[in-house]
Amino acid sequence: MSKLERLLNLTAALLTTRRPLAASEIATRVPGYPSDKVAFRRAFARDKEVLRDMGIPLEVAPVPGADPPVEGYRIAPEQYALRDPGLEPDEVAALHLATVAVRVDGLAGSEALWKLGGAPGERDGEPVAQLPATPELAPLFRAVAERAPAVFGYRGERRTLEPHRLTFARGRWYVEGHDRDRGELRQFRLDRIEGDIEVGEPGSFERPLATRSSQAHAWEIGGHDEAVTATVRVDADQAPWVRRDLGEAAVLTTHGDGSLDVAVEVRNRDAFRSWLIGFLDHAEVLSPVELRDDLVAWLRDQVA
Amino acid sequence: MAAPPRPTAPDRLRRLLALVPWVVANDGPTIAEVCERFDVSEADLVEELNTVFLCGVHPFTPDLLMEVDIVDGRVFIRLADYFERPLRLTPEEGLALVASGAALQAVPGADPTGPLARALDKVASVLGIDATGALEVVLGSVPEDVLDVLREGMARNRQVEIDYYTYGRDERTVRTVDPWDVFTAAGEWYLTAWCHRAGGERRFRLDRIGAARLEATDFDPPSARPSRAVYAAVPDDPRVVLDLAPRARWVLEQYPVEAVEERTDGRCRVTLAVSEEAWLERLLLRLGKDATPVEGGEGLAAAAAARILARYDDR
Repeated sequence: MSKLERLLNLTAALLTTRRPLAASEIATRVPGYPSDKVAFRRAFARDKEVLRDMGIPLEVAPVPGADPPVEGYRIAPEQYALRDPGLEPDEVAALHLATVAVRVDGLAGSEALWKLGGAPGERDGEPVAQLPATPELAPLFRAVAERAPAVFGYRGERRTLEPHRLTFARGRWYVEGHDRDRGELRQFRLDRIEGDIEVGEPGSFERPLATRSSQAHAWEIGGHDEAVTATVRVDADQAPWVRRDLGEAAVLTTHGDGSLDVAVEVRNRDAFRSWLIGFLDHAEVLSPVELRDDLVAWLRDQVA
Repeated sequence: MAAPPRPTAPDRLRRLLALVPWVVANDGPTIAEVCERFDVSEADLVEELNTVFLCGVHPFTPDLLMEVDIVDGRVFIRLADYFERPLRLTPEEGLALVASGAALQAVPGADPTGPLARALDKVASVLGIDATGALEVVLGSVPEDVLDVLREGMARNRQVEIDYYTYGRDERTVRTVDPWDVFTAAGEWYLTAWCHRAGGERRFRLDRIGAARLEATDFDPPSARPSRAVYAAVPDDPRVVLDLAPRARWVLEQYPVEAVEERTDGRCRVTLAVSEEAWLERLLLRLGKDATPVEGGEGLAAAAAARILARYDDR
């Protein structure tokens, strides 16, 4: 008897039983196990591991009425089964296309697609994008999906986070949520998380409906400075990307030589200065005076 | 090409637990269709169905065995009510679907209400999340008009004229290129092309292309896809050595530093490969007093600062 057959029979036996089955019962009901007790125990331990690795929810509970008490095993069908998402054929095809076009390192979308009924068609197309995956990603995704707190080390401290969402931006993964220790919204970089992540009780918190998009510019967030609107003149040769980056609404004036005056909301002065320096001598702060002076002082400091 | 490794028993079990419910629900699909959907050869499929045929539950009387028939190239499975539904998605599988889908939705030109968006909403609801709220992918800004022209150039093997800003040299040029490959990596969009101005293969960041125009001239596409490796310092690149204050340690994470030496005063001494001077100017100006050039780069920040200040002194 093949190992595949034994695993299939084991899964069927555990799914159909109403009460937990003792290991000794499994040995007699599921064909294919060695008759030697020690060899059986070893084989059964390996099989349990295989089922758990696949994501099969294997329950362990006392066998009712057993004396002396003994641990039994079962799979609750309602825990096992995938709820039917009701996908239309074009929707499955679109998901299939997405898993071909975007590779997430180390994560195969094909098995997920099998569970949704499989998808015919091309499997080896060129990906348009490749997303890196860190080991922290899957447990944090589970924590987000299950609304379970995540506990992890970060810069030498233990943090307890109610994770609201994962974001991939600027080439990195971030997790954002309510930091229980600090009592506020915080963002963490996944590649800076130290050690393993503990995922707590599911359903432990409510996720806020709409969280702000992380596409805000650096100078608009994270600072403690009072918001002020700055006007910046940008030379013609930098105009195309500034226009695109900030949007038409930010453009106050387009001059005859192609240069622009743009308005930006500044909440973080350090980040604003850093952005301006990116232009070297192709941009200039026109107003307000204190931001202009701020930059001039910073630069004078380096000439001296 | 080497034959793929034979799938292990757990791999085959995964496939069977997904395949059986689909065959049961679709009452008699053709073998060819099952093979295509589940990416399995006909021989392997038949072998696996023979395994299923012997399976069931205790006491394995005929009425408790699964019944598999292959008739006229069609597959029928009955009495498998315990395998009626596929196994739930693991966090990794859910993540793979949602992340791939969200990334593709972030590519310019994606339809925000199309089949992929609808599929993502449905999958997300099965996972207990809302698709847009729980995972977001930002692929870096890309001008849609530029991307359209490059895509057309690649599809028709036509040269493209681009107006490009070289950040590292602070210089704007117009060049004719053969567009070979457009992709995203590390949060930015890139074009790999043959550059006729440089006479060689070059990599361009899409967000620094000011405008792109399709030319009338055709080009011969390369026989193999060019490498997508984004950054590689070459041995000839000049090196610079800087002392960084603790506040400037983000440099270690942001840039590929080649050597780090801890100093007794809490500072650290780093070696960076610098191929472009304007890049180093910006880094030094941003760091200000938090960085001190030890080797190379002396006087660079002061000169750049003076150049910028000239704009302010006039008024």
